Amino acid sequence: MMKRLRQLASLRLTLVGMGLLGVGAALSYDNPVGTPVWVLVVPLALLSVNLFAAILSNPHINRRGGLLLFHVGLLLIVVLAAVGRLTRMEGRIELTEGSAFAVEDLTEVRQGPWHAGALDRVEFVQGPYTVDYTVGMARGPTRSKVMIPAGQGDWERRTVGDDTPLVLEGYRFYTTFNKGFAPILTWLPDHGAPVTGSVHMPPYPLFEHRQANRWTPAGADEIRVWLQIEAGMNPEADWRLDPANTPGVLVVRAAGDRRVELRPGESLRLDGGTLRYERLSSWMGYKLYYDPTLHWLFIASMIAIFGLAAHFWRKFGAVQAYAAAQEAAKNKPSDEMGGRAA
Amino acid sequence: MNEGAVITELPWLYAGLGAYALATFLSFKALARDGAAAATLSRTHEPFVLGLSAAGVLLLAVALAERWLRIGHGPFVNLFELLVSQLFSLGLVYTVVYWRLPVLRPTAVVVFPAIWILGVWVLLLDPAGAPYPPTYHNKWLWAHVGFGKFFLAFCLVGSGLAGIILLRGSRLLASLFRHMPADSILDTVAWRFMLLALVFDSLMLVAGAVWAQDAWGRYWAWDALETSAFLNWLLLGASIHARATYRISMRVTSILIVVIFVFAFLTYFGTPFYSEAAHKGVI
Ligand code: HEM
Repeated sequence: MMKRLRQLASLRLTLVGMGLLGVGAALSYDNPVGTPVWVLVVPLALLSVNLFAAILSNPHINRRGGLLLFHVGLLLIVVLAAVGRLTRMEGRIELTEGSAFAVEDLTEVRQGPWHAGALDRVEFVQGPYTVDYTVGMARGPTRSKVMIPAGQGDWERRTVGDDTPLVLEGYRFYTTFNKGFAPILTWLPDHGAPVTGSVHMPPYPLFEHRQANRWTPAGADEIRVWLQIEAGMNPEADWRLDPANTPGVLVVRAAGDRRVELRPGESLRLDGGTLRYERLSSWMGYKLYYDPTLHWLFIASMIAIFGLAAHFWRKFGAVQAYAAAQEAAKNKPSDEMGGRAA
Repeated sequence: MNEGAVITELPWLYAGLGAYALATFLSFKALARDGAAAATLSRTHEPFVLGLSAAGVLLLAVALAERWLRIGHGPFVNLFELLVSQLFSLGLVYTVVYWRLPVLRPTAVVVFPAIWILGVWVLLLDPAGAPYPPTYHNKWLWAHVGFGKFFLAFCLVGSGLAGIILLRGSRLLASLFRHMPADSILDTVAWRFMLLALVFDSLMLVAGAVWAQDAWGRYWAWDALETSAFLNWLLLGASIHARATYRISMRVTSILIVVIFVFAFLTYFGTPFYSEAAHKGVI
């Protein structure tokens, strides 16, 4: 049993594992499509077994506190990263100003088989946002206002954006460059109840020249709309994207391929009903990220680094003692100072 | 952004590089084949080398401050400011090592030329400012950059020692460094610096991951820079292991140290500019 353990703990195997991990990392460089995760998982699994065996059986590592802490920390990081992959959730969502977060609106959802968070308890309402731009269209700060329930019918206002995500129930919502305008439209059918909805125009200013989309209210034909906006965009100066204060004219294709311009509040008669352009609103694209191991990973890394630093300190003390001994023997020729210190 | 603006930091940069140039020149002058002469030369030259490199560090600090005032943000964005900032921090750490560990002073003839790669490079670059990405206001940026600076500086000191071991391998140059301790001691000290470098490398990776989680919503994603930095960390760890596992000649372990430093150098000054990483934030 012990012999088997020592074999598993071989330091030669460690070097092989590290070599394989290096190859796996090199294959993952810049995330080429088609590199399977196994190129990393296999060497990490091998190294974990090897390290676990070494911690159990090798006195060079398990009798030296700092070094032991460092390696245990490394093992913990690998285990936590694996648990993180099994429990995490990622996704994207576009939220119209004034609308509440709804799980059904999430897209590109990827989640581990063990994911078990309380996403259904996440509640917030999207407010308006602004994004600053500097010369050359370089994106500056994004300020997205959201409201979260604060109990007893109260709402708490928060501003999120860039490196300040909205964190609710452990779910982290990050603003993205994916955001744009959203005209609010109402369809008043000749027979039946009116429907109000928002049309998310393509991301702005990325698709500044392609602000077009289609809307199909329930029971009606598809309606094609374009947006003409005065957002103040200027690649040669600093400017602010502020959808809440941006005038926008909606262009609608009517019968006979006619294009009709609508201002907020104006209506247009179409086949089977009337279309009313209520107002111009906006949408913000969020990236969702959930990983319950994040804090633990940080703690494990700190433990590892603390251990490594303690190990260094002990060794450094040994060097100082060695240097003092050398000082004492200073008059001897340098070549006799030899002897490799461990 | 600041087109037509006066580049106020340039005179300070040139002055700082001038001080480094004199320090480099004197550290080469301090080399002597004869043991007794070496002792005299080091006594007369080394205080000047120390003073000049400290002056260089101070002048570069002023250059950085001037630039900061001129463009309104710290030296974190384009290659020009990254190089000036590293010229400052590598110089600072090495000056302290030079001051506190006199026995290592002859490494200056390896360390200063390495610093000069940055020194010459910076002179070829446009000092114009670049927009400051919104995710760079994060306080973890400071930790990440700060730890990284110590990592690179300790690798540089390790390389200085490894360089001496390699230079001593040549019969022609061996006598120039005969007043330094034996190779085995230099090797041990060099690897102590590499172990310290590993501590700061690990801190840099963790601080970077925390920042990445805030800035891009993920702590690790194998982008070009992350992968390169990880491979660098792994190479350092593997080298430390290989040295503990096998009897490897000091020549080979010295070459390993230089390779690790070159790798770190390429990670810092190559990858971010070769790869259009998420760091830019346009549109
Ligand atoms: C994954 C499997 C690993 C195993 C089985 C392992 C095992 C060991 C052992 C037994 C020692 C003591 C060596 C001796 O002094 O004789 C050691 C030292 C050390 N290991 Fe690891 N290790 C592993 C991974 C790593 C990794 C990934 C790193 C860092 C990148 C690392 C960094 C170190 C350091 C810095 C030392 C101290 C060396 C010294 O003080 O000279 N190890 N390891």
